Amino acid sequence: MKQKLLCVFVIAVGLLAVSIPANAHHGVAGYDLTKTITVHGTVTKFDWSNPHCVIHMDAKNVNGEVQNWTIELAAPSLLNRMGWTKNAMKAGDDITADVHPAQNGAPVGISGTITFQLKIVINGQPLPTR
Amino acid sequence: MRNRLVRLAITLVMALGSLSILSAQTFAQQGTTKAPQLKTAAQSPDLSGLWAPRPDGIRINTWDSSDPYGQKPELAPMAPWAAAKWKEARPPFGAKQTFEGINDPVQRYCDPPGITRVWMYPWEFTMIQTPQMVYILYEFTRVWRSVAMDREHPKDPDLTWMGDSIGRYEGDTLVIDTIGFNDKTWLDHTGHPHSDALHVVERLRRVDHDTLELAVTVEDPKAYTKPFSGKKYFVSTSSPMEEAICAYSEFDSFQKTVIDPTTKSPGK
Repeated sequence: MKQKLLCVFVIAVGLLAVSIPANAHHGVAGYDLTKTITVHGTVTKFDWSNPHCVIHMDAKNVNGEVQNWTIELAAPSLLNRMGWTKNAMKAGDDITADVHPAQNGAPVGISGTITFQLKIVINGQPLPTR
Repeated sequence: MRNRLVRLAITLVMALGSLSILSAQTFAQQGTTKAPQLKTAAQSPDLSGLWAPRPDGIRINTWDSSDPYGQKPELAPMAPWAAAKWKEARPPFGAKQTFEGINDPVQRYCDPPGITRVWMYPWEFTMIQTPQMVYILYEFTRVWRSVAMDREHPKDPDLTWMGDSIGRYEGDTLVIDTIGFNDKTWLDHTGHPHSDALHVVERLRRVDHDTLELAVTVEDPKAYTKPFSGKKYFVSTSSPMEEAICAYSEFDSFQKTVIDPTTKSPGK
């Protein structure tokens, strides 16, 4: 059971039209904001850079296959103001992230913009949200 | 001998003290000669400081108050050539927002956002007022403007990304008048074009101590059949500006890593 829980997975929470699209340097047309999914896995790289911070992580899908997920965040300046730092996570950390997934089903999602930041938990510790 | 050394030391200290007083008086006299300029600055409304977008204005995508969020951008009073050019725009925001084939000059090429559009990004700016010049430093892309307070526009200005800005105070309002643009920027987040005849008037005033109102009027007789205007509000902030820079290599990497995968057909 523990193994099952530890096993990375993706859960469709679905149809939560809660996030409001807002402007950073680009829009959100590629994402399905009516859906929120939870991705659980291991951080492989954390880009603390413009125009947006990006989390790269490995997560297994329902078939047990490892997928490399890419998660978009707000810009570093905006995350700083929310209480994040460049040390928010590092390669090897356990991560559970809520994201709005890509419209086309690619393993890409958005977790935060200027107006929202969905829940992200690193090694059991939640990061600041809006 | 020892007493002589002590007296010498005291004398030196007194001499240095006198020099300090003299220097202070000299600075004071210099200050006095510049008093008229300082008085001018003091009489102008104080708009200086750090400002951040008020949350209710973050989603403003146009300067047309009848469609601030760009949900009906096709209704802008565009001349036929401007409407045709707008149809080619693939913007990241508003009713036509897309991730596919985006040709937004800022997102794709790190072009300067232009003075009407730079206000739409959700980053801060700093106002610095001097008697001769007002400077506006924008956090987004680290672009800055200067507004000349002591001259008129040149008769035949060079056509530039930021245009030629002159300013004046009308009561509590700073009025900035800008002409002399090239036609390479988008007017707003929805891709509305403009011509080199663009004329922008920006009015900035404090509606209360912590709130700054910006009213923008756009006039472009070549591109639009009538002027239009809109407003946006900013709040005072103590959060320092950071590096929201536009580096083409970073933007291009982000495009390929994040944006492009979302535009491919599933399975490809």
